[in-house]
Amino acid sequence: MNLAFMPEKSKVDNLSLPEKSMINVKGLVKDFGKNRVIDGINATVSAGEVVVLIGASGSGKSTFLRCLNGLETLTAGEILIDNVRLESKSSSLKQIRRQVGMVFQQFNLFPHLTVLENVIEAPVHVLNQKKDIAVKAARELLTKVGLLDKQNCYPGTLSGGQGQRVAIARALAMHPKIMLFDEPTSALDPELVGEVLTVMKQLAEDGMTMVVVTHEMGFAREVADRVIFIDEGRIVEEGSPIQIFSNPQEKRTQTFLGRLSH
Amino acid sequence: MNLDFSIIPKYLPFLLQGAGLTVELAVLGIAFGILLGLVAALMKISHTPLRYIAHFYIWLIRGTPLLVQLFLIYFGLPQLGITLSAFASSVIGLGINSGAYLAEVFRGGIEAIPEGQTEASLSLGMGKFLTMRRIIFPQALRISIPSLGNQFIITLKDSSLCSVITMSDLLQTSQRFASRTFASLEFYTTAAVLYLLMTTVISALLRSLEWRLSRESRTRGN
Repeated sequence: MNLAFMPEKSKVDNLSLPEKSMINVKGLVKDFGKNRVIDGINATVSAGEVVVLIGASGSGKSTFLRCLNGLETLTAGEILIDNVRLESKSSSLKQIRRQVGMVFQQFNLFPHLTVLENVIEAPVHVLNQKKDIAVKAARELLTKVGLLDKQNCYPGTLSGGQGQRVAIARALAMHPKIMLFDEPTSALDPELVGEVLTVMKQLAEDGMTMVVVTHEMGFAREVADRVIFIDEGRIVEEGSPIQIFSNPQEKRTQTFLGRLSH
Repeated sequence: MNLDFSIIPKYLPFLLQGAGLTVELAVLGIAFGILLGLVAALMKISHTPLRYIAHFYIWLIRGTPLLVQLFLIYFGLPQLGITLSAFASSVIGLGINSGAYLAEVFRGGIEAIPEGQTEASLSLGMGKFLTMRRIIFPQALRISIPSLGNQFIITLKDSSLCSVITMSDLLQTSQRFASRTFASLEFYTTAAVLYLLMTTVISALLRSLEWRLSRESRTRGN
């Protein structure tokens, strides 16, 4: 499988340049009714960086991710995507969402469209690409996720791993600057997790800016540039995978990781 | 017992002509109803004051008899200076009536589509309208087809009420010949059989439509 999604990027070059901030979150607060789910998060993600969010269920990490492309409205604070402020106005949201791809735990493929139609849907109807151009690009993406032979199948006939790879191709078809992954492997049978992680790994190597919520600590260790541990809607600790997994400073991080290893 | 169906063939062309009008009324009525039902369903699920208008429409129409509605349109409106032909009154009446029921059918269909579909569509930069048109509605329509078919059959049968506002549909034609020849049982039986034929054909068509639209769950392999 040849998995080059983007022109090759040298990480060394990137490090020597002043870091370009792709996501900038300031004082983010999110309430669901009286329940405070995000309690003042500040974070930046640089271009080409892979950030993995870890934390227990209900810690607010998925909600945080969903705030980044405006699927949740903010109670307070602000989010800048490539230096453009995320507004709740729908025209501004549409603009931002074209640049921020999202992959969901449940794939959310469109069941009434074939695999190919799923991938070209947004390029054709949002970017107004000509259909034959969109189809060509979609076939390339499907080749890269290893599913060209499934292009005319309906999502209902795919395995979970195949479905999720189509969902990744669908998001990439919009040429996003950022990809968000909301527990992309949590709904998969264990033997299908690998094929999805392989695609994500390749994407990371190609230089995509990625924010990933996952319970796959192996992936975090291997691929993440930075790991952020979230608990009760706050960032408790962040650092390189080695720092977080081998030498966590905070008691809560230690407890969380300790529970995982048992 | 004097039952003589041999009288029917002579009148059959007229009965079939009446049946043709019945089909025409039903098709136009349901088409208008689909349009109204769709608009009302969208109004009802919108979080705007428009939903009260939809509520009112559905409440009013489902709570009153179709015959009364037809009388109001055909005999009542001219008093307000609005005079409609019997045909127009019939189509509008059947449309308004079926629309109220279809509004609930479509609303149910739309609400049955998982939230994740909307989220995925919005995440791709599609707007709310595009999401409804391209993603939600096509799926909702598939879910709605059995109920839509049911309503089509009801509307076809209901169209017989239009005979009372002077439409020469299948029922009125049968009635005319029945009273002329006193062969009531023969004519009304024939009418019933023709109605049954029409509804059976509609059911069969809808079943095949449903089958074709469910292809996504059947397509395997390449």
